[in-house]
Formats: sequence, C-alpha cells, structure tokens
Amino acid sequence: MKYQSPKERVLPYLFSVPAIILILASISILLFVGTGGVLAINWEMVSKSVLKGGIFEPIVGTLYLLSGTMAISLPIGVLTAVYLVEYAPKGRTNRIITQAMNNLAGVPSIVFGLFGYSFFCRFLGFGISLLSGWLTLTCMVLPIVIRGSQEAIRMVPKTFREAAEALGASKWRAIRDLVLTTAAPGIATSTILGISRVAGETAAILFTSSVFLMRGLPSTPFDPVMVLTYHIYVLLVTSPSPVLDRVFAMALILLGLVVVLNILAYVVRLYYRKRKRW
Amino acid sequence: MVTINPKIETKNLNVWYGDHHVIKDVNLKIFEKIVTAIIGPSGCGKSTFLMTLNRLLDLNSDVHVEGEVLLDGRNIYEPRLDLIEVRRRIGMVFQKPNPLPKSIYENVAYGPRVHGIKDRKVLGGIVETCLQDVVLWDEVYDRLKDSAFELSIGQQQRLCMARALAVKPDVLLMDEPTSSLDPAATAKIERLVRVLGKDYTIIIVTHNMQQAARVSDLTAFLYLGKIIEYGDTRSMFEKPREKLTENYIIGKFG
Repeated sequence: MKYQSPKERVLPYLFSVPAIILILASISILLFVGTGGVLAINWEMVSKSVLKGGIFEPIVGTLYLLSGTMAISLPIGVLTAVYLVEYAPKGRTNRIITQAMNNLAGVPSIVFGLFGYSFFCRFLGFGISLLSGWLTLTCMVLPIVIRGSQEAIRMVPKTFREAAEALGASKWRAIRDLVLTTAAPGIATSTILGISRVAGETAAILFTSSVFLMRGLPSTPFDPVMVLTYHIYVLLVTSPSPVLDRVFAMALILLGLVVVLNILAYVVRLYYRKRKRW
Repeated sequence: MVTINPKIETKNLNVWYGDHHVIKDVNLKIFEKIVTAIIGPSGCGKSTFLMTLNRLLDLNSDVHVEGEVLLDGRNIYEPRLDLIEVRRRIGMVFQKPNPLPKSIYENVAYGPRVHGIKDRKVLGGIVETCLQDVVLWDEVYDRLKDSAFELSIGQQQRLCMARALAVKPDVLLMDEPTSSLDPAATAKIERLVRVLGKDYTIIIVTHNMQQAARVSDLTAFLYLGKIIEYGDTRSMFEKPREKLTENYIIGKFG
C-alpha cells in the first residue's frame, strides 16, 4: 500500500464528522416530528374544521397557496428563461439580469413579506389575500424556476433547432415545438423544487396572505387564507399551553408535502433521463 | 457544361466569424438539377459556405456576411425577404444525422406541418412518398410511430433526407452527409444523391474526394475560403488546371 502520512489518514475521518452530524440531525428531525405527528394525527382531525378542533382548512389553504403560486410562476419563469437564453443579447444586460436574479434568491423571506405587504396588499390594494400571497411567493420562487429553466433550455441539443429552422420553422416555432418540449422535464423539476422550497414559508405570508382563524376556505382570491405554517406559528407563540398534538400533526403534513414534492421532482427527472435518446 | 441561368449564384460573398475572415470573395454559379460537390481540406470554410446558402448561418451570433446569394436571381440576403420560403425551397441534410425527438412519422411530417398542411391524409401521403424516395419506407412502414432514435445511424440520415424532401424544396444542401456513416450506409446515400440529383439541385460538401468523383457532375475546390477551381468533376480529377488542386487531389495535403 502507498504510504500515507498520519495526517492524511486522519483527515478523512475528520471531514466526515460534519456529514455525520448532518445525517443525524435530519434523521432526528424526521423521527421527532414523525413520531410526534404519527401519534397525534388521525383522520378525524385532518377532516374536521379548525373551529371544531381540526386542521382541515390550513391543509387545503396551503394547497391553494402553493398551486396558485405554481400557476403564476411557471409561465412567467419559463417565458423569462426563454427570453434570457434565446432572445436577449448576450452581453452586460443579460449578466446583470442574471446576477440580480441570483441576489433575489438570497433575500430573506421576511423582506419579501414586507415588500409583498407594502406593494401587493397596500399599494395595489389586494389586501391580506390569497392573491397577495401568490404574488409574494411567486417573487421568491421565480429565481429558482428561471435558473432551472435556463439550464434545461441550454441542455437542448442545438441540432434540433437547426433541423427545424432549416425546414423553414420560425425561431419561435422551433423553440415552441422542440426546445420547450425537450426542456419540459427540467422545467417541471425546477418548478416543483421551487414550490417545495416555499411550501414551508411563513415570513413571506405572515402579513400578506394568512390569518389564524377564519370561517371556511377562501372563496375568491381576494379572501385571506389559513395556512399550516402560520397556524403552527401562532399556536406555538400565542397560546400559553399549546395543544401540541395538533401542532405535530400539521408539522408532519407539511413535512410530508415537501417530501412528496421532492420525490415527484426526482421521479420526473429519472423518468425522462431514461427516455432521453440523444 | 450547360450555360443556362444558374439556380444559385453567389456574388462577392464574404463571411467573417468575429475577426476571422472565413469566406473570401466567393463567386460561384450552381446549376439546376445537377449535383455540385464542394471539396477542400477541413476548416477551409466548406460548411460555412453551405450554410450561407440557406442563411442557417444566421443562427450563430458574431457572424457577418457580405455580398449576395441569388436564388433564381433574387438575393436571399435582402432585408424584406421571406426567409421561411427560402428555407422551404432550400433543404438541408447535416453532417451528423439529427432527427427530431419525435416519431419517424412526425419527423417527416414536421416540415409540411410548419408550412401549414394539417390534413392527415395529405400528411400521410407526403410521409410515404418521401420515405419511399429515400428507400426507407420498406424498412419502417410498420413502425412509423417509433422514436426516430430507434433507427440505425444510416437510416436516421435517410430519414433526415426524407424530412428535407417533405417540404418540396428545389435545392438540397448536404453537409458531409456520410461522414458519420459506415461504408454500406454511405453507399446507399451516394446512390440516393445520384438518383435525386436528376430532380433536385444538390450541393454536397465532402472531404472525401472519391465521393465527389462518384456522385457529382461539377466540383468546386475551396481552399482557405477561396474557390481555387470549379468545373466538370471528371476533368478536374483527371486534369486539374491548378497546381493546388492537383496537390490536394493526389493527397499532398488535406
């Protein structure tokens, strides 16, 4: 065997420590929330209204919030990515936009919340509403969706475009028929991942969209909404002796939602990678 | 050599990639319904030249084209021109087979669809005729719905030819169409070029001189972005006028 200095031999172990801590941490989170949640959760609680001690509205409200965010951010994100990759001149402006977007991804969510509150709720007059929440979360998700879509679009072999344009397809036609369809799995993956990133968002919806208690589900986008994260937050912070089983049940559902979204993204990617033939 | 009006004529054609001057003052007349070969060592601008003829070079940024390319007497670089119609009339087959990520059927039907044909019967007819024209129909008629990537490389290249024919072009540009094929597949393509050359104006770029000799009627020798010699294929190979051509043909460089 090759000679290794004692230092060389020790270093791998040393470096593995943080990794082990990380693994232990995530396992313990899963176990802790998992057992707490599993012990607490039951169908009755899930299906019953908050007013009767259940958690039905926050669950559905969260889904409302996330699906709306997805519906808004997907088209905007894809169009922006197409523009940046295919149309915008490759120069300083392009770099500035990309850099601005990367910075946006690092902005703390409470700042997004503040922006959403002052711009969407107050300035545009949407009030504390589902719509304000969608738009605020869209601002947070867009950098992820755009960056992912840009990557996916860049991965499309140039030959597809050449072939289509040589047949007389216009640039947009070639993009629509070939680039977007080929990039679709990548775009879907990044959108799902983006959505899962904001699924647990509290600060950004704190004063734009969510309320602790209301009667029933929002019936228009201009109504406020009850959301799991915010509900957990308020239960923990405000009540002197919080009913922990409801909190754990909601945390479990939230966790499950994020896990499902991540698995979904993984499956989409895997499925299409297998089918990819070029 | 017939002296009729050329199908395509380039006038003082110059191309730059950035500061790199790739095509230098090329004046070439391409005649109708014959096969013209463009030979020359790699990097001499053959492919670039070919892609100026259907303006596919426009896809690259940082390319600058000067001069004229006349298709039936009309400059395809003039500003208000219908590029889509030009691309329809000038088909292209690429160096590496590049089927679209679609079925065999959809690959051939894509062009006609782009140009507005929707009727399924008409499309089906076009697909069958074009696949028969490239002698692929018998090999694929029972699996038209399969992905084009299921085909062998040679079949893919014939599919790409069928796809190009499907929009009824007058001219077919072929950019080293056999460079990634084995000898048997190459022979099939060459036979097709001979046959199709009776109905289409074909310009084939190749670095394989035997191929040029086998398939073409006229040959142009391009070297460092300039046309060195242009004329009847047989006499060029038997008795080149220029020393440079002779050296290239006998393999002194290339």
